[in-house]
Amino acid sequence: MAASVPLEVSSDRGWLVGFRNMVGKEWASWWSTRRWLVHLVLWLVVINGFLFLVGTDESIARGNNPYSTMSELLQVFFLVCGLFALIGMVVTTQSDVVGERQLGTAEWVLSKPVSRPAFLLSKQLVSGVSFLFLALLIPSVVFFLQTMIHTALQPPLVPFLKGVGFHVLHLWFYLSFTLVLGVLFRTRGPVSGVAIGSLFAGLILPNMVPSVVMWTPWGLSQLAVRAAQERPLPEDWLWPVATTVLWILLWVLIALWKFEREEF
Amino acid sequence: MQVTDDAVIRTHKLSKAFNGVQALKSLDLEVRRNSIFGFLGPNGAGKTTTIKLLLGLVRPTSGSAEVFGHDIVGDTIDVRRRIGYLVQDPRYYDYMSAREILRFTARFFYSGPAQGIEERVQDTLDIIGLADKADRPVKGFSGGERQRLGIGQAQVNQPDLLILDEPAASLDPMGRRDVLAIMERLRERATVFYSTHILDDVQRVSDTVAILNQGELIAQAPIAELLAGSRGTVYAVEVRGESAAVRARLESQPWVVDVQVAPDTDGAEWHVSVSDASAAEEQLLRVMLADERTTVTRFGPLAYKLEDVFMDLVEGNGNGS
Repeated sequence: MAASVPLEVSSDRGWLVGFRNMVGKEWASWWSTRRWLVHLVLWLVVINGFLFLVGTDESIARGNNPYSTMSELLQVFFLVCGLFALIGMVVTTQSDVVGERQLGTAEWVLSKPVSRPAFLLSKQLVSGVSFLFLALLIPSVVFFLQTMIHTALQPPLVPFLKGVGFHVLHLWFYLSFTLVLGVLFRTRGPVSGVAIGSLFAGLILPNMVPSVVMWTPWGLSQLAVRAAQERPLPEDWLWPVATTVLWILLWVLIALWKFEREEF
Repeated sequence: MQVTDDAVIRTHKLSKAFNGVQALKSLDLEVRRNSIFGFLGPNGAGKTTTIKLLLGLVRPTSGSAEVFGHDIVGDTIDVRRRIGYLVQDPRYYDYMSAREILRFTARFFYSGPAQGIEERVQDTLDIIGLADKADRPVKGFSGGERQRLGIGQAQVNQPDLLILDEPAASLDPMGRRDVLAIMERLRERATVFYSTHILDDVQRVSDTVAILNQGELIAQAPIAELLAGSRGTVYAVEVRGESAAVRARLESQPWVVDVQVAPDTDGAEWHVSVSDASAAEEQLLRVMLADERTTVTRFGPLAYKLEDVFMDLVEGNGNGS
């Protein structure tokens, strides 16, 4: 077994050991299989299909007032479809860690020269980017076209992108939260149960304790709607953004700390 | 235990407990370079735990170990760079093909070039006999094919140390033969450390053996030494005809320690323990054939089976009941 082309020994150090290879493997699991196609069809049907129904209904009900219909569509896109995407994010990534542990592939991979942070962070990075592309970016582009059909208008681009930014942050929070739950629990049930439970708590609790939106990501959907509709944001809008970023960092750090101590 | 400078694996009172249950107790092990080291023990003896400790997949409760001089806890990545590992029940990403699995594995060790990696992957596929199935998803692979792939991914980096956990467990006889052949071939440039229940295989290829029972090391020795056993030199003799007088005459010889009838032979086979092997070699047959009524149909030093030694040791260590 002697290759004629000399091989270069990998020289990565620290947490980067194995990271590129893991990213390549994760990327291939999304884009070299039918997974991307399934997600693309799913989210186009769920998000843009739902918006089509709402748009058709709204444009009739509001007597073809395009501005009112546009406002309604933006609200539905970020609130209702946003919720679908958040649940989808949890369901899609719940087995990133749990599944590998149950299947035994985690043990196999971690017996190779790869750091545990590389194993975890590659999943977070690739799942996040792939999901955002398929469940947010493409539906957003299609949404732009849909608004033309229903209102003959297009949403203002920059405010809409601000709304997308809030939504990205919200999705990344649940991506990190699902990651840490996947490290803490051994089965999928508690992972998706706690994460989706938190999502629904975010629909109910702010009505009971309004200040909770300052310390959680639960107010980000409303901020996304206001931004996209060009309505002024609350003065303290940076608080939920900053605290969500801190939550994301905290979840990732806890996941890395715990995973480093896991035994396989 | 003699400490040598060419030790590939060295453990010092290595211990592991899971939820208070002691899986491995103060293991002192030394594996020499370029040996084929058989790691034996009944189920639950701590073999897989030891292997996982060496690979950094579990952490020791106490004690330490080095592989190629690298600490298994602090330098685990450096340890794994030089190891090829076959897990007991190999599982892979089902959507990948054998070629993709090997490529993915190789890229943990090599940064490139891509052509070199592809050549290495193809060479490995040829060796493990999966070249014709290289591009099929492993989802459809049989147990034997998965095991072959496991051996392939364990050696794709041409490791200095190959750790195999039950490598032949799910293979048919031909597959087992191939695995043993690969192990023997690898001995020239690598050390092979493997656990198994198939004692015949161990006897065929291993040069050193360690036996673990209930988390404790109960024997570690070159296989020839272990097979010689603690009973000294024993000759197996098959006799026909009048034998009582011959037996009495044998027992009267000063170099004969004991004469026992071998079990399940209807008295036809004796095991003669001797204190002086050269005296026995010269005189044993002569003493027996002195009586014309006795015929000796087989004669030679008793070849112990590893299975016998293993059972003696394990049962003597309290696992036999």
